[in-house]
Amino acid sequence: MKISICSKNKGLDSLVDERFGRSENFTIIDLDTMAIETVENIAKNQASGAGGEAVKLLAKYNVDIAIVPHLGPKAETAMEAFEIKTVSQEDYKSVGEVLDAYKAGKLKEITKKKGLTRL
Amino acid sequence: MKINEIVVISGKGGTGKTTLAASLIPYLKDLIIADCDVDAPDLNILLDPKIRSTYGFVGLKKAIIDPKKCIKCGLCEKHCKFFAISKDIVLSQSKCEGCGVCEFVCPVNAISMVDAIVGDLYESTTNYGDFVHARLVPGEETSGKLVAEVRKKAKALAILNNKKNIIVDGSPGIACNVISSLTGASQVIIVTEATFSGLHDLKRIHELTKKFNLKTQVVINKFDLSPNHSEMIEKYCSENNIIVGLKIPFTKKIVRSIVKKTIPSIGEKEFFKEIGFLKFIDSLTQS
Amino acid sequence: MRIAVLSGKGGTGKTTITSNFAVNIKNSISIDSDVEEPNLHIFMDMKDPTSEPVYTLYPTINKDLCTLCGKCGDFCNYNAIIPAKNQVVIFNESCHDCGGCKLVCPTGAITYEKREVGKIFKGTTKYNTELYYGLLNIGEMSGVKIINQLKKYSELNEETVFIDSPPGTSCATVAAVEDVDYAIIVSEPTPFGVSDMKMVVEMLREMEIPFGLIINKAGLGDDEIYDYCKDEDIEILGEVLFDKKIAELYAGGKIFSDSLPQYKNFFSDIYKNIRKKRRSL
Repeated sequence: MKISICSKNKGLDSLVDERFGRSENFTIIDLDTMAIETVENIAKNQASGAGGEAVKLLAKYNVDIAIVPHLGPKAETAMEAFEIKTVSQEDYKSVGEVLDAYKAGKLKEITKKKGLTRL
Repeated sequence: MKINEIVVISGKGGTGKTTLAASLIPYLKDLIIADCDVDAPDLNILLDPKIRSTYGFVGLKKAIIDPKKCIKCGLCEKHCKFFAISKDIVLSQSKCEGCGVCEFVCPVNAISMVDAIVGDLYESTTNYGDFVHARLVPGEETSGKLVAEVRKKAKALAILNNKKNIIVDGSPGIACNVISSLTGASQVIIVTEATFSGLHDLKRIHELTKKFNLKTQVVINKFDLSPNHSEMIEKYCSENNIIVGLKIPFTKKIVRSIVKKTIPSIGEKEFFKEIGFLKFIDSLTQS
Repeated sequence: MRIAVLSGKGGTGKTTITSNFAVNIKNSISIDSDVEEPNLHIFMDMKDPTSEPVYTLYPTINKDLCTLCGKCGDFCNYNAIIPAKNQVVIFNESCHDCGGCKLVCPTGAITYEKREVGKIFKGTTKYNTELYYGLLNIGEMSGVKIINQLKKYSELNEETVFIDSPPGTSCATVAAVEDVDYAIIVSEPTPFGVSDMKMVVEMLREMEIPFGLIINKAGLGDDEIYDYCKDEDIEILGEVLFDKKIAELYAGGKIFSDSLPQYKNFFSDIYKNIRKKRRSL
């Protein structure tokens, strides 16, 4: 199973990025093999709709669970359409901390808010 | 630590957004300041910022036609939905919305889509905190994206430097600029004026802010200009569960302060104290 | 003749000035292209307007023909259409209506439906003049489509048309002001007024539209705007002095030249001046 974490740089020491759609990179971890790779987020410079494009990128890398900060409505919709689960990264600062917290079951799944108005 | 991002908007232009946002600044501690009125930024006039970084802002792509390759077949002009290509196959950059259809239909590869720098984003230092502001080339479409960039930079600075508060000076209107200022904000202040137009436009902007479920307060500027309309605004607010956080009477003192390029709440401290400004500040920083 | 009234800065008095012109110039037509927050119809007291919707298009997918090949998603520069696992996600409000996705779809699975982005209202004012205004639906990203449609009405006849424009210098303002014969900048003698006026001047010069300035709330500010006009050789068409009486009339949605005799000929004189200038261009 693959998870992704929004990251500013490479590696487990990297700081978490507080944005999703315009995150610098995504660190993708294969929980079965513990292989770690950092992928540049090509959506970050898009004029608009970066959220949707970033989700496309994660789907391309077969991410099953995305650990994210606050998501905009477009990114939420795209995650659903690609069947990628979303989990909140809370206030953890480094990628390594987020990974540990996830493995310890400390991170909450994000469920779509009822009656969310898409603008 | 959740950052307290306060966005000041108005719907109708000229009600006093920038004047109010500027006046809040000296009273908010641990502050990052953002001017999101990227079409007509004015906050810098009162803040005397020292620019330390400038970033070119890339908006949508723009099409470029290579005249050497162009065979003037007219397919691009026929397909362009934005009237950006003339009958003699001249491209108007300002009308081009960067869709890429012309590039796709051109039979001789004479058209390419290129990144265009359509504005600048600045990171500056001021006496009250770091300041993020921007300027868009007049006529450009992507003000929504630039607004998002300004806010994101402001948020990044706040997190990096452990700042609790962000104040955002927004733009008039109800469209993409404003929508972009509101997503993910903590609270919004709508500045209106005690006039027919003020009330009319307040209703429209409130229809938009309602969708965001944010803590909302209204400030009525120049309220004594028409006590009648001020009352109507207060009635509308109470019917819609919005707090009227502050009522500012008309005074030439504020204009004089701005003319002297001084923040009004500093230049006219007494006046602001008398109208209950400090209580209003408290309402913004209490959780 | 088409005359746009614009300002850069909000609240300088565009609508005030436009309405006063419309009332004083016989047989003129007015258009309010500030479709996000239109106000002109309030001042001109428009009764029982008719309305028509303004549409934009968005793509829909024929699921029987769609193979989820992804070409539409790869093409779209606005990320408005995203083929996902079992469906194509479409963000209508991001769609710029360029027609590209349909062009690139290899199976003809894409067609366009229309949706309303706003309305245009037209009617007669209390002064027996024609007025058109646009209204953008809340939540929509841009009013440019409505403004372009409104401008078509201004091309229909020989009368003088006054176009009340949006604040700022964004694409909406450009759309409102495009191809007019003359632009009247309305500003105020304050640092914000001057700063925003400079952006509008830059825009008008780029668009090669001749322009002049009316200073509103004159006396409430300083001289910076006069110095700027002198340095830049910009004609000051006239000044409306700051007057609490005018502010109160405005607050009540009234047209001040109706009530203040000193402004009786102010607007028609400026108009005659502009016409003369146009003839000599």
